[in-house]
Amino acid sequence: MKRQGFDRALRGVGIRDYQLILPSVVCSTRIASRIANEVGSKTFAHQHGCGIIGNDVEGISDFFCDLAKHPNVGTVLIVGLGCETIQGNELAAKVKESNPTTSYLVIQESGGVAGTFNDGITAAKLLKSTYPPHLKNLDELVVGVEFSNSNSEIESLIAELKASGIKFEIADQNKNPGLNFSELMRRGVHLIVSFTEPNQPPSGFPLIPTINIASDSALHSALAKEFDLPNGSTSSAILNFILDVADGKETKSELSKAGEIIAPRVVRSV
Amino acid sequence: MSKSLTGYPRADGRVGFRNQVLVMPLHSALCATARRISEESAAVAITHDWSGEIDADFARIFKVMTGFAANPNIFATIFLTLGTPGELEIIDKSKSIGLSNSTIVNVSEIGSMELLYEIALKEAISYLALADQVARVSVPWSSLHLGLECGGSDALSGITANPALGVASDMLVELGAVSVLGETTEILGAEHLLAARALDPNVGKQIIETVARYERSINYEGIDMRGAQPSRGNIEGGLTTLEEKSLGAAKKAGSAPFTGVLEYADPAPKPGLYFMDTPGHDIEQLTGFAAAGINIVVFTSGRGTPTGSAVVPTIKVSTNTQMALSIPDLIDLNAGTIADGTQTLREVGELIFNEIVDVANGKLTAAELGRHQEFSLSRMYGTQIN
Amino acid sequence: MRSLLILNTIDNIAVALADLESGSIIEQDGLQIEVLNQIPRGHKIATKPISKNEGVIKYGERMGHATSDIKVGEHVHTHNVLGDRLSAEQVK
Repeated sequence: MKRQGFDRALRGVGIRDYQLILPSVVCSTRIASRIANEVGSKTFAHQHGCGIIGNDVEGISDFFCDLAKHPNVGTVLIVGLGCETIQGNELAAKVKESNPTTSYLVIQESGGVAGTFNDGITAAKLLKSTYPPHLKNLDELVVGVEFSNSNSEIESLIAELKASGIKFEIADQNKNPGLNFSELMRRGVHLIVSFTEPNQPPSGFPLIPTINIASDSALHSALAKEFDLPNGSTSSAILNFILDVADGKETKSELSKAGEIIAPRVVRSV
Repeated sequence: MSKSLTGYPRADGRVGFRNQVLVMPLHSALCATARRISEESAAVAITHDWSGEIDADFARIFKVMTGFAANPNIFATIFLTLGTPGELEIIDKSKSIGLSNSTIVNVSEIGSMELLYEIALKEAISYLALADQVARVSVPWSSLHLGLECGGSDALSGITANPALGVASDMLVELGAVSVLGETTEILGAEHLLAARALDPNVGKQIIETVARYERSINYEGIDMRGAQPSRGNIEGGLTTLEEKSLGAAKKAGSAPFTGVLEYADPAPKPGLYFMDTPGHDIEQLTGFAAAGINIVVFTSGRGTPTGSAVVPTIKVSTNTQMALSIPDLIDLNAGTIADGTQTLREVGELIFNEIVDVANGKLTAAELGRHQEFSLSRMYGTQIN
Repeated sequence: MRSLLILNTIDNIAVALADLESGSIIEQDGLQIEVLNQIPRGHKIATKPISKNEGVIKYGERMGHATSDIKVGEHVHTHNVLGDRLSAEQVK
């Protein structure tokens, strides 16, 4: 299997070339979104970065680093506010250890919203032109498998992945599918196969193509056309779809704009 | 006082100072659609990360979602839903709180995310047209529910913007309005001063107990709070301890007596000054205020922040002139003139009072002009103890 | 413009209204203080000697305690002051 991907040096090889506009605090998610819309980059809203204590400080900071480290991500522009718990310059330094193609901006030091918007566009474009993508052979595809209840389809898919020499990671422990996606992101999976829980709609993670497979639930039947694959898809049909997505086919969740992601937390905000 | 208020009385007797059309997604997977509608129209929208999970935090999330969707500044709320029982319960409760105009757009009946967008956008546009036809009428001072907030505090916060806001708050309480101080974190160390101002000794006890409960929940976790409070930005600005920050933060509440203590996101039952148990996290606090039916917020800041609510106009007051000049598009008023010696506390307090009235009467804030519509669900993650 | 703000007569600190240069002398409100460190605007300077463990008073209220002896004119901040509440000592 000779497949081309995007060379991320020590971070591996990605199947997508996304620029990430990373808001380091809830307060900067709107401005990050405006910058991303303008330059065609990926971003998302989240509720973290400030008012956190204890293990959450390192936990959230590491989570942000893992986002920037993901092989589907090329360059990263961190957008902070300035007075938040996780400081932009320190986060940028930490992110650069694994992804050196990173720069950061701070709203309070960029003349406010208009200034940050303009500086952000300039910085994002500069990152793109300074670090153009390079292709490289993708030796190992890593697939994340998300589900809430095991079934025979999942078992035969896993057997098929093993037989095809495709590495896989499983996340099945969280009640919130968003937390399963976040966990798979941290394990660096290239794409996710989601055996969407019967009472959950199809969804995805902004940096990772997510293949949603329907169940026979009433909700999924109603939303049938929002799924990539129908209920009862065979493991070989799923595998073929996985290979198409790895080669660039866009999933339904990739086509729609990502809204909000969720990061694991252990302590209340203060 | 020559100033008077105009607003939009709602069927339940509450009053709005805006006639917003809110698009409210009841599942995180519907948030991108809500955001898209707010980008394509004058409707406002929120996004959140709740995916229907029913856990120990659900009661808190339920209270926030329902109260927010029924905020009196809203003319109509369009619910985007999967139609699950939990989501339908949120809609019913919002209506029983006082939301009069609402539309449910159920994606499992429509079967398509694109159609969900198209139908909800069409609904939003027709509600916006209706909202535009409603005229403001004269409303009493008791219809104003003011939220007092600070964020990105510096050493001047407790000297300029906060006490000036306290002057404005006192003026409004005197006129019969509601004023609510939040941020339990930021009265820790000043609670004895606030409790001494309670109208009723029980209210004083409640203030002390609310802070003690908060302190227990943090100590229970065995966490050294100083990593977060004062925050790194606060320390750079010259604030040394949490108590110092609190002594300055509490000045937002002026010198009026305290009428009562509110749990997070609970509405004030009658006019007066209240303390609400909220996190210091700017957006969780602002969201809790909105869910409690607060219809105007004044937010003082030493560092500047774009924060705004989808449904509550948020007036930013700068604590220092330097910041007001360097990031003008985040700031409505500068209280730094008090430290510069060019205006008195009383003068700036009156300016804030006038700004509150002007904004209530329709003047747009910097956050509204920038369309900042932040929202955050406050979760306890099992760390609430009594 | 005045360079110091004294918030309450019982306070043992004042707030710098401008950046204070080390070695400069401030004369204000009958006080004469030699500034012992660089003190940024908004930060605190000791106006009375404060012994280790003594309360630091601002707005007429206790805001924490000194962790070392502090001389008049010294910068008063996190290096020589600790809050009384929710600190590591209390947690342990």
